[in-house]
Amino acid sequence: MKEWARRIMDEKVREKYVNEVVEKFGDRIISVERNADNQWIIEINREDLPEVVGYIVNHPEWKETQLSTMAGADERPLRGKFSLIYWISINGASGDVFLGIKTYIPEDDPRFPAVTPVHPGAHWYEREVKDLLGLIPEGHPDPRRLVLPDDWPEGVYPLRKDFHYTDSPKREFTDETKYPYREPPKGTAVFPLGPYHVALDEPGHFRLFVKGEEIVDVDYRLFYQHRGIEKIGENRLTYDQVNFIAERICGICGTAHALAYAQAVEAAGKIEVPERAEYIRTVMAEIERLHSHMLNLGLACHDIGFDKGFMDAFRIREHVMWLAERLTGNRKTYGMVIIGGVRRDFLEYRRTMIEETLRKLREEFQKWVDQTLSTRTFIKRCEGVGVLSYRDAKRWSSVGPWARGSGRNFDARRDHPFAAYKYLDFKVPVHKEGDVLARCLVRAEEIMESIWIIEQALDEMPGGDILAEWKEIPPYREAVGFTEAPRGEDVHYVMTGEGNRLYRWRIRASTYNNFPSLPDAMRGNTVADAVLIIASLDPCYSCTERVQVVDLEEKRARVLTEKELIELSRKVSRRV
Amino acid sequence: MAVTLKYPFVKLEAPPEYRGIPHIEPRLCIGCGACVNACPADALLKIDDHSTGTRKIVLDVGRCIRCARCDEACPTGAIRMTRNFEVATLDRSDHVEVVELRLHRCPNCGNYTDYTERALEKAFQILPEGLFDKEELRKKAILCRNCRRKLTVDDTIEASREVVG
Amino acid sequence: MEAERIAFSFISLCLILFLPPLLDGIGRKVKARIQLRQGPSILQTYYDLTTFLSVEPVYPTERLAFRLAPYIAFASAVSAALVLPYGRVIPVSFTGDIFVFLYVLAMVSIAYMVGGFSLNNTYTNTGANREMMMILSIEPILGVAIGTFALNAHTLRIGAIPFALTFTVSVLLAYGLLAYSVYVEGGFIPFDVAEAEQEILEGTFSEYSGYLLGIFKWALMIKRFALLWLLSSFISIPFVRNVANGALILITQLIVLLLLYAGIAVIESMNARLRIDHVIRRNTGVFLCSLAVLLLAALGW
Repeated sequence: MKEWARRIMDEKVREKYVNEVVEKFGDRIISVERNADNQWIIEINREDLPEVVGYIVNHPEWKETQLSTMAGADERPLRGKFSLIYWISINGASGDVFLGIKTYIPEDDPRFPAVTPVHPGAHWYEREVKDLLGLIPEGHPDPRRLVLPDDWPEGVYPLRKDFHYTDSPKREFTDETKYPYREPPKGTAVFPLGPYHVALDEPGHFRLFVKGEEIVDVDYRLFYQHRGIEKIGENRLTYDQVNFIAERICGICGTAHALAYAQAVEAAGKIEVPERAEYIRTVMAEIERLHSHMLNLGLACHDIGFDKGFMDAFRIREHVMWLAERLTGNRKTYGMVIIGGVRRDFLEYRRTMIEETLRKLREEFQKWVDQTLSTRTFIKRCEGVGVLSYRDAKRWSSVGPWARGSGRNFDARRDHPFAAYKYLDFKVPVHKEGDVLARCLVRAEEIMESIWIIEQALDEMPGGDILAEWKEIPPYREAVGFTEAPRGEDVHYVMTGEGNRLYRWRIRASTYNNFPSLPDAMRGNTVADAVLIIASLDPCYSCTERVQVVDLEEKRARVLTEKELIELSRKVSRRV
Repeated sequence: MAVTLKYPFVKLEAPPEYRGIPHIEPRLCIGCGACVNACPADALLKIDDHSTGTRKIVLDVGRCIRCARCDEACPTGAIRMTRNFEVATLDRSDHVEVVELRLHRCPNCGNYTDYTERALEKAFQILPEGLFDKEELRKKAILCRNCRRKLTVDDTIEASREVVG
Repeated sequence: MEAERIAFSFISLCLILFLPPLLDGIGRKVKARIQLRQGPSILQTYYDLTTFLSVEPVYPTERLAFRLAPYIAFASAVSAALVLPYGRVIPVSFTGDIFVFLYVLAMVSIAYMVGGFSLNNTYTNTGANREMMMILSIEPILGVAIGTFALNAHTLRIGAIPFALTFTVSVLLAYGLLAYSVYVEGGFIPFDVAEAEQEILEGTFSEYSGYLLGIFKWALMIKRFALLWLLSSFISIPFVRNVANGALILITQLIVLLLLYAGIAVIESMNARLRIDHVIRRNTGVFLCSLAVLLLAALGW
């Protein structure tokens, strides 16, 4: 293990954080339990939630502390109560600690004081808990729906255990169920962007309130693509099967999700992963980062009409895709990570293949960077555009290159060394400007770092097994698994269950933490920059939006004649 | 020089490591259902018909997510990932492969068991030599669960009678 | 003489109508090659147009302006191209046609705006708005450039100017202005802000479909052709104007045009799209410079 990793994984460093919280709140803490190597669960009363969570997240000395995930669970079959758990991570290379602040909520009074007023990063989490479990966050500034579709009936909560995963309530779309978008501020017009828009890769609806071309404010409606993954994972799939569904949460950062899930289950079930498997996981995660960042850089070029940069980025990216295909059997969705290890070993001929690809990649990508950064129009479009201040990035608990472009010095690979990162040396690129260019530079530098990480991992990879045998995972154990996906920290929370199945699975993709800060970055820019700013967030809608059950056999679908359709479209466009 | 290809007009070969669509070799399949249990996407189904005594293993490539878990689970190597990736078709039924197998029939009561004839044969095949009396085992193993239980009870009663007698 | 005139007029009309899609195809091919792609066939734009023209459009509004806009654009673009010289022949020529040229060119943009404003759609409105700002900021530069040439050549017939040019400092500078304004007015990247696909879904075009869209796109291609033909005539004719054979002059013009198109494709692929405020700022700067050029020309330099 490297010196830097030993320092932050030191027991004394870790306990310092837990002790301070325990000391500060004394007898208001009901219990403290260490559920995994770097994870503690602290149980408190629900009245103390905002104070405790706010204290840790806004602690003046723990600079990069942030709300990593929050999960609500229906524990009524076990304890007769609902539960909420806020997972807070200590970052900035100052200690490898995850603190889970847990509280129980009685069934007959499903309310809790919202944390959002003290830490806006909890904004989405609390709205989601309200939608899916019916737990009401009191004092939340935006009580609108987040996850469920507009016509989902009130009082039906899909993540409660008494809601079967095949249930589909009757839904009716009326004027009352229309989403309550915010009224445009005075003197502004609405510029709708999406759900279908050439430059948005996936559906998301943005309402830009514009004065001329300047964006004054933004409202949005997302979650068009819930696929009920969490519910299915809790009901229908076994531990091993979930891994493959987890990988398919996202088309780009699949391995990050599979890895986060596997690590969560391994932490809960205390499964030791062979060292060689950890190295292989690391290499796969970095390969994924390489192609994801190139994709994003290419798309940023495309969004401002710089197609040469776009095509070149994709051409270079193809080397990585081919490499992945040879290593794992597929360009994407590698299917490598599984609970206990990995599925395919790196044989000697594959090793030379990796080295050859990395050499080509480094050379061509350096050329790409030089070419793009010397394109004056590119710089002109990116510089000073979409500025997200450090304060906002921290306030919203933003992650990944989006946050690192705004000066947040935080990277799960370094701050919570998982897989084989603790044996490797690497830098975490941070830029302070907070604009689109800074984020592009962070990504470009990370690509170079990734190449270096893979080279080290190949050199130091030990021999041995790649898969640990495991028999049974004890039920009702909780843990989080975390990875640094290309888009930022990815956290999966699991609560194990009986019969080879999960009791609760909470996926938190990186975009989930980044999206709420988007309006802050967009304000004051022009309509022309809107898609570029969205692209620089590198949003992954389908990652973010996973939970709800989709009604496949919707009975109210009706085929419109062409004439009706045109008439309808005209009406809608008149309204907008 | 251009790096793109005139793809549908030139043939593309996937690399040897490629995981394409799975294919079941009907001659090897014993209908044990291991692949069905492993499949996360329900692309594989096991459909038993006890009235006619058939078991269908249905593979729907349209649901397949190419994870290759079935390939790992198969005890006979009947289901294998191919290197074929071109699955676009105008007819959805092109995606479906069906293997039909006969369920084993209990010679005693005539009911169908919930395993196939081939699975039973395979079980006999992989039995290590010399550990069991094969003929004796075969006599019992071909019965259905109920008849076997009955036979065991009968045997026990018979034996106790002998002891008592 | 009359026969030659008729023959050249006919050829020019064919060029105006049917060459632009080919030029577009060449531009696409060049761009594809720069991006290391195979790219579409150079005839692809013809195929696209045939498809568009054979499809019945969907009308998002009942307004007549919406239906007429593509035809106005088409007619204007063709008339702009007709006042230019093809070989030694100018299909339509009269004193003062430089104003007509500028006017009908602007008409293409105005048709684009009319189409955009006839709808209640933020995308088309934004596209029309941007087009308006573009045209207001670039048309004066084009006017000054042509004016400088006219001053030098002492004629108000745009087709006759290149045959009567004498090279002075102001004329050379005016070439720069002409090239710039042709490029910007042609809406090539980085100046394609009004039809930006990723930002505003191609502006006005987002509501057009079928043959209306086909005619509109065709009109814009002819407009580009007219602009570039103007530039290529001004570049080539002063060097070959002593050649008696009109056909040779025409071929020179064509070759220069092709080179210009290829060159533009190269510039296009090396750039990102600017924002409208960048464009306006840049155009304003160039316009101030152009006034200085006009002053020089007035002084006789």
